[in-house]
Amino acid sequence: KLLARLEGRSSLKDLEPYLFAEEGSPVHGHVIEFHGPEGTGKTEMLYHLVARCILPKSGGGLETEVMFIDTDYHFDMLRLVTILESRLVQRTEEMIKQCLGRLFLVNCNSSTQLLLTLYSLENMFCTHPSLCLLILDSISSFYWIDRSNGGESLNLQEMNLKKCANFLEKLVREHHLTLFATTQTLMQRSTNSAENPFPFKPQHETDIDYRPYLCKSWQQMVTHRIFFSKQCNSGSSTAFTVVSCHLKRNHVVKLSFSVAECGVQF
Amino acid sequence: MVVLRAGLCPGLTEEMLQLLRASGIRTVVDFVSSDLEDVAQKCSLSYKALVAVRRVLLAQFSAFPINGADLYEELKSSTAILPTGSSSLDKLLDSGLYTGEVTELMGAPGSGKTQVCLGIAASVSLSLKQHVLFLDSTGGFTASRLCQMLRAWTEDEEEQAALQRIQVVRVFDIYEMLSALQELRDRLSQQVMCSMGPLKIVVIDSVSAVVSPLLGGKQSEGLAIMMQLARELKTLAREYSLAVVVTNQVTRDSSTAPLRPALGRSWSFVPSTRVLVESKEATWDKATTKRVASLAKSPRQPTGIQVELDIG
Repeated sequence: KLLARLEGRSSLKDLEPYLFAEEGSPVHGHVIEFHGPEGTGKTEMLYHLVARCILPKSGGGLETEVMFIDTDYHFDMLRLVTILESRLVQRTEEMIKQCLGRLFLVNCNSSTQLLLTLYSLENMFCTHPSLCLLILDSISSFYWIDRSNGGESLNLQEMNLKKCANFLEKLVREHHLTLFATTQTLMQRSTNSAENPFPFKPQHETDIDYRPYLCKSWQQMVTHRIFFSKQCNSGSSTAFTVVSCHLKRNHVVKLSFSVAECGVQF
Repeated sequence: MVVLRAGLCPGLTEEMLQLLRASGIRTVVDFVSSDLEDVAQKCSLSYKALVAVRRVLLAQFSAFPINGADLYEELKSSTAILPTGSSSLDKLLDSGLYTGEVTELMGAPGSGKTQVCLGIAASVSLSLKQHVLFLDSTGGFTASRLCQMLRAWTEDEEEQAALQRIQVVRVFDIYEMLSALQELRDRLSQQVMCSMGPLKIVVIDSVSAVVSPLLGGKQSEGLAIMMQLARELKTLAREYSLAVVVTNQVTRDSSTAPLRPALGRSWSFVPSTRVLVESKEATWDKATTKRVASLAKSPRQPTGIQVELDIG
């Protein structure tokens, strides 16, 4: 176990330079949150990142392994294969299978199962040193069910997610992972500014429809928050926008991208 | 929260349970998240035995990762694309309804959603000879209209057989719907073939009729039940390779804003494909109204494509 950690993880540098406001991101230990309403391209962006990781070096990828935790049966394998096929020069079955062999998928049904699954995955991280990217799509899917199960006490409602967040932090720290998690915009932004504990006011604040609702343990462990939104043009194409914020350093970058057959294009 | 009890897994004896309970470990989560060396010392239990129990509990209650290549193989053999009975709608949906996904048809009352659903049921039953489960929560299902559609496509004997493959269940509130789905799940998992042959599609008309009464107000229980229904539909679609079609109402924020699906933000994340069905007056000929379907959300196609629907 110890040896695997000392050997060091493969690097995720230059995973997607457009998404991050500074050079050399993401580094291990970073926790990046994708936030946005439905249909804004969060899952597409995840496919883009997964493709970047699992493609071989000859195909422009990093040849690293990815663990994808899917909590609402959202993952569309056929779409990922279409993206891989459009990026590979040799589109053979063998190549696709080789790439897909670097991807691990888990489906979780409840926040309790998510927590227990994280515990049992710990072993996998030890035995796979090239597994350095952990994706969780999405961490907010159990929000309403947990809230209803927890009854009147906010503590009970948030307990499972808090434990998950704490354990995720431990995994990220001990195994030098990078974590990407998506959260859905379930509520409208509150108009009462006193209630909004957003620590800084970016210039694009009016564009961002963000109202934090997940537990504090999660909010505190996020290092980058990336907001997704969509503008519908009168023409045929839809433009997606990404606002990437590095929370500790107040760095903000705004970009647009479009989604084509071959995936995300900046 | 699963509570530990004797016999939950081999090695978890009554005496062990007593000792664990004394140090505050009551549920599976408590057990798995505690430091086993600590527990071994405090409860004077064997560390090895505790580790073995932990391994078995995790194997039982957590989800297993599957390799991407294996999943792809599985999907290649189990995914099917079902025809909707309308070639223009098929084109819109990139050749048809994909199994393993939830597809939503949204539209104002009278726009033709039920007609499209009947067309889908008829088409799948007739051309693929597969069984169809139709959950009707609005009372809009009419067997005579279905007969009419089938008669337009084929002759008598086949029509009878096709009708027999469509099972209609009338549900009028969310609990009836959830129990009908649970019954379906039980039947599928036991693979009882007697009355229900190979089932590939579930049509629910409409989901907003049973969910809208739950929403509104400050309680979150309504939203929790809605999300439970969503989870049930997605699990059915994925695990048993079914296509799930639901219909929904539309709302708009103001009279000039574009139409959006009803049931709120949380539901909007559930379907992977969404089609807006509208009925438009043809300006040159007041007698006919044409039905237009546009793609509002899709994992495969760019949105905004519009086609005219030909429903017989």
